[in-house]
Amino acid sequence: MAQVRLTGIAKAFGKVTALDAMDLVIDDGELVCLLGPSGSGKSTLLRVIGGFETPSEGTIAIDGVDVTHLPPERRPTAMVFQSHALWSHMTVHGNIAFGLKLRRLPRTEIRERVEKVLDLVGLAGYGARLPSQLSGGQQQRVALARSLVIEPKILLLDEPFASLDQHLRERLRDEVRDIQQRLGITAVFVTHGQDEALAISDRIVVLADGRMQQVGRPGEIYAEPKTAFVAGFIGAMNMLDGTLAEGEVVAGGLRLAAEGAGPARLAIRPEDIALTEPEDGRTVTVRRMIDFGSHVVIDSALADGTHLRIQTDKTIRVEAGERVGIHVEQWTVFRDGEAPSRYRSDTVRPFREVRRYA
Amino acid sequence: MIAALRSGAMGGRLSGLLLVALPVALLIWLVLWPVLQAMVGTVYFPGTGFSIASYTYFFTDAYSLRNLWLTLWVTALTSVLRVVVAMPIALYLRFRTGSIAALVQALALFPMFVPSVLVAYAFIRVLGPNGIVDTVLVALHLPKLMSPYLTPAGPIIGLVWDGLPLTLLLLLSGLGRVSIASVDAARDLGAGSWTLFTRIILPRIQSSIIVTLAFNVLGLFSAFTLPFLLGPASPEMMGPYMQRTFSDNADPLNATTQAVITFAFCAAFGLIYVRAIAKGRKGTA
Ligand SMILES: Nc1ncnc2c1ncn2[C@@H]1O[C@H](COP(=O)(O)OP(=O)(O)OP(=O)(O)O)[C@@H](O)[C@H]1O
Ligand SMILES: [Mg+2]
Repeated sequence: MAQVRLTGIAKAFGKVTALDAMDLVIDDGELVCLLGPSGSGKSTLLRVIGGFETPSEGTIAIDGVDVTHLPPERRPTAMVFQSHALWSHMTVHGNIAFGLKLRRLPRTEIRERVEKVLDLVGLAGYGARLPSQLSGGQQQRVALARSLVIEPKILLLDEPFASLDQHLRERLRDEVRDIQQRLGITAVFVTHGQDEALAISDRIVVLADGRMQQVGRPGEIYAEPKTAFVAGFIGAMNMLDGTLAEGEVVAGGLRLAAEGAGPARLAIRPEDIALTEPEDGRTVTVRRMIDFGSHVVIDSALADGTHLRIQTDKTIRVEAGERVGIHVEQWTVFRDGEAPSRYRSDTVRPFREVRRYA
Repeated sequence: MIAALRSGAMGGRLSGLLLVALPVALLIWLVLWPVLQAMVGTVYFPGTGFSIASYTYFFTDAYSLRNLWLTLWVTALTSVLRVVVAMPIALYLRFRTGSIAALVQALALFPMFVPSVLVAYAFIRVLGPNGIVDTVLVALHLPKLMSPYLTPAGPIIGLVWDGLPLTLLLLLSGLGRVSIASVDAARDLGAGSWTLFTRIILPRIQSSIIVTLAFNVLGLFSAFTLPFLLGPASPEMMGPYMQRTFSDNADPLNATTQAVITFAFCAAFGLIYVRAIAKGRKGTA
């Protein structure tokens, strides 16, 4: 059992409000990602959970025990830092054994546990090396092992792989997910990469300006963003400024059915746009076609020049300057202070059926 | 192409040499040449030939040896005290931020802007006989303390205060290489302040401490103003001793001999300093 309960957490550094009104329950065995742009308060929230910062307001309880004023070492948490946190004067073994030595465990047990955890992170046999003799990825694995070896109930990771290249980052995040599930521990993972968050979390907490924007499962956050910020931040999204009137939203010359009146923001995912034959009010001009191999992205312009990103089938080929019709299958309208309204069109119109498999 | 590259490299080397040439020339002219002159002047006498009599005298004269010994231990103690006093301040400044830290930093660096002579007179006014401390004690009907003025403690207190800023800056630059995350990580695993300092921080600033000590020793060994104004008349530190031998006793030969001996000690510490730097370079690479 390791449940974290944050109640009304706020943190101010002087005049800067880093966190505000946080209520969150992280369940036992869950991996939660804190996702948000730079300066949104992710690290601060993680440090508050780890005991490195004391909140200005609110309480934190772990398994029902109030730990708000306990220092890091008295909490059942262990933190993996972004980088430069290994002790360069100690070997890998020395780094990992440090926490166990402080707990005055017998030598043989220390050796066993260090070897077991090295095996777990895929570094068996590296014990005698110095951190400077390891690659960046291996160093972060050691940092992970150092935190895991003391068997924390809650693992906290602050952008642990941010300084690594894309491939390594993907591999390590999957490994972290794997290890977390095998050990059955609770984990909080800070990232500003949405792919990372979508790929490994049970739930995602989206932060902006020190406030929680939305908490939910990855698919849910992607499909049903609660605010325009979340809509724009998670996944690719066309965000258009428009006006609501007479059962329609008009943005950049595009007209779609929507209720209400007044200014609004229209959000459309690139993959929710299909190509059709040109038709009045539903026509765009192709600016560029980007072939990703698995799919094709078309950068196009609406009647007033606004960019519109379209993601479509890999077999489709269009030319720059060509005018094509679009059919929007799903869209969301955001208005200040109101819940978003979602719409979908159920008619399917084929596009150049003949050229599809050409 | 290759020729162009090579001439570029040559040009670079030439301008590099020119950059080095000026300080080297100054060093030779102002330091090495006088040192050489002094060394030769104390052992070779035109007309009579070689003699190391003045050195034999120094190392057999009880008073000279007592002065050398005093200088050695005052230097050692003062250097260590500077590090011991500056270390907690440096740790505080490295790992805390905020307005109090800024104030502490300003106070600790303040002595850098005060000339030694002023330090000496301030010291006498505060800690000297019938100084502020004595006046306060008398007003409170307490017995006077023995004043450190004109005892070895005098220059030690003065020199520690005077040298604090440089020591602090050197230690701070060493601590700059210890990342806050690495300290937080140790704290997270349960390391207390003492463990943190001895197991995590100290091993990584070792070379900085050696550099700091060597730097201090170099400056202290031949310190003059504070030992002269605050120290005892006998035995005396090498700085005042040299000065007195030269002008009061009008004995340039023995004064120069003392200077050469002082220089030899400083050169030895300089060597330690250079080696520590080389080791530190290797450590960070
Ligand atoms: N020790 C501190 N003193 C003052 N302000 C701070 C401190 N730590 C964080 N802040 C401020 O709090 C806000 C949130 O910072 P935080 O480090 O939590 O952001 P983050 O989401 O982790 O950003 P990043 O992705 O860049 O790491 C920022 O405005 C930051 O300037
Ligand atoms: Mg951060």
